[in-house]
Amino acid sequence: MSTPHWETFSESVQGINKKLNQDYGTAEGQGSTEDPLVLAVADGHGAARHARSDVGARRAVALFAGHAREFAGFARSLVREESRGGLSRLMNYAQHDMPRRLVAAWQQDVLGHWDRMRKRSGAGTPPPDTADAEKLLLYGTTLIGALLTPQLFVAWQLGDGELAVVERDGRIGFPLAPAETDLGDETESMCSHRAWSLMRVHWSPVVGPDRMPRLITLSTDGLSKSFASSEGFPRFMAGLDRRLVDEGAKEVRAVLPQWLRQAARHSGDDTTMAAGYRPPHHHAIKE
Amino acid sequence: MSGMLDDGQRLTADDGEEIEVVKLIASGGQGEVYRVRTSGGDRALKWYYPPCATPEQRSIVQELVSRGFDDDRFLWPTAYVEGSPTAFGYVMDLRPDRFQGLPTLFQRKLRTTPRALLTACLYTVEAYQTLHSRGIAYRDISWGNVLFDPATGDVLVCDNDNAVVEGDSSGISGTMAFMAPELVRGDPGARPGTQSDLYSLSVLLFMFLMNHHPLQGRRELLIHCLDEPAEKALYGKHPLFVFDPEDDANAPDPVEQSTVLATWDVAPKILRDLFTHNFTVGLRDPAARVRESQWRDALRAVLDAVVDCADCGRQNMTQPEETTAGTCWSCGSTLLLPPRLIVVTPPPRAERHLRLHRTARVHAHHLEPEPVRHDYSDGSVLAELIEHPQKPGKFGLANRSGTAWTGTRSDGTTQQIAPGQTVPLRSGLELDLQGARLTVRAK
Repeated sequence: MSTPHWETFSESVQGINKKLNQDYGTAEGQGSTEDPLVLAVADGHGAARHARSDVGARRAVALFAGHAREFAGFARSLVREESRGGLSRLMNYAQHDMPRRLVAAWQQDVLGHWDRMRKRSGAGTPPPDTADAEKLLLYGTTLIGALLTPQLFVAWQLGDGELAVVERDGRIGFPLAPAETDLGDETESMCSHRAWSLMRVHWSPVVGPDRMPRLITLSTDGLSKSFASSEGFPRFMAGLDRRLVDEGAKEVRAVLPQWLRQAARHSGDDTTMAAGYRPPHHHAIKE
Repeated sequence: MSGMLDDGQRLTADDGEEIEVVKLIASGGQGEVYRVRTSGGDRALKWYYPPCATPEQRSIVQELVSRGFDDDRFLWPTAYVEGSPTAFGYVMDLRPDRFQGLPTLFQRKLRTTPRALLTACLYTVEAYQTLHSRGIAYRDISWGNVLFDPATGDVLVCDNDNAVVEGDSSGISGTMAFMAPELVRGDPGARPGTQSDLYSLSVLLFMFLMNHHPLQGRRELLIHCLDEPAEKALYGKHPLFVFDPEDDANAPDPVEQSTVLATWDVAPKILRDLFTHNFTVGLRDPAARVRESQWRDALRAVLDAVVDCADCGRQNMTQPEETTAGTCWSCGSTLLLPPRLIVVTPPPRAERHLRLHRTARVHAHHLEPEPVRHDYSDGSVLAELIEHPQKPGKFGLANRSGTAWTGTRSDGTTQQIAPGQTVPLRSGLELDLQGARLTVRAK
């Protein structure tokens, strides 16, 4: 089986008047069995009580990438069992085990960071220990992650931001858009109580290379909020898709920072995008 | 993601029905489900992924369709549809909106009540019992295959395309967390069938009522990568019940798994005993697993013994036939047990104990010694407790059946209670209903 070679790009810009960029993103891999496409963005919360959300966002992205590759390995081992329920087991894992494991790993990781920081804090007595929930709050972040292999496209989302999928025929979909949009700036978070239960999952086995989407983008809400109307973001996605088709990934990669800077000026927020693009005349990878 | 079928694509079912694909509704573990247009209205079409579209699966679907199973608790395949010998599916009814998936319940994203949950458990047991009584093993009982109405407890069993005649060996082997340990281990001679269905059913019931998996205790938290070997160890090679009375090595973590500690604590002993038996002795000995009839008897008894807290109004499960109750799981107040209605059915005599809470109802199945199916819907009500319109706090039993009852008071006097009439509730009151004897007791 030959698999399309995916081009990736990831970019993040700091919001106007913000002291540091609390977003983080990554785009890795080629979409093959051995080197799956892994995309992730995280948006660390801005309020003062989330003072270490930049760390929380970085760790969420890194942990997602590790868990996604592990999941891809699990999928590899189960592919041969597809007719005996292998895919059902993977779906169960994706929908139920992965969110719990991801949230647990992130919480354990940032609590470890909190402990290390406490010990390093100056020559005097370290600050008093606090409840874990208080510590986790410091690192609060959203997370969107996606994994694509020749057999599977799976995505997870906790909190705001957008997963946009451009199908092979140019149709644009937002498969993880919530039924009701969050009002105001409050969002679901990796630091929320029972955060795993808030994670939305998109499960979509790939039935053939010709049925794969041609563009997958993950973006923090700094991008979607920069548009004056709700139609603005889908229009931006259609334009991005057109530029990729007409000019290729190299050209888009070069202008993407400028687009995101412009968006960040309008939204005032950090703005991050991670994307995978399948060129129409791809170099196939032999599987 | 584009599915296997395109919107607008036309197919023909083997019964000659013309089908037009409207849109992809969902992707699952074996195939995709589409909304399709037929001459009889919109329906659902399941279409298998190529690796799952095996000759064995085709035979199973064709066999299921030919059975013409007509039961409103199942989304049963009604017509076979073929695109090519390796591309096929089947037509079934669309899922009504009121039904929800169990993962939504486990994520606590919907509101329900202990009565609705117990009803759902009872209906689920009876649905699978119906299959088993017809010699069909479901073989993939899991939380992905049962939908329920959180308001009424009605259930809908879907993905019935893995059900086969007992003894057939083809097809799916189940979802690991719900699979019987002997199947997870791949013991020689172990096959999915009714005995393994009984195990999966118990896992499902535990998850319904306890909001947790019965084998996911501390040991699961220690696993860093839940890959196949880890899953096999947890569910097959070294399964250990989280409340095993002899071994607490897999007890729930008090912080990470606090929910199951709380739900287990408030479950009545009759259910805890069955779960403990099933997940200790029944883990090792398939023949010793709790049968559907045992679950049915225990669940209906507990359902009839649910009481409302007088302080906060929340529903509490109590141990059937106990004359004292503990405290409310929600507010901690001491529970007051309302009067009890003892129903003795016509021969072969069976006894039911109903707590007469403010909304208590006697249903047709209460009067049957061996009801084929329990039905708690409005349509099956024979009697219900109502409050006197002018005297708050005074209750009576209203006759909602089509026939008159004979009532006998504790002083021996009798009266007829015509349909629509109400008899005041008094301790010692006896009622004769369609050959059944009903007696009111204070405790």
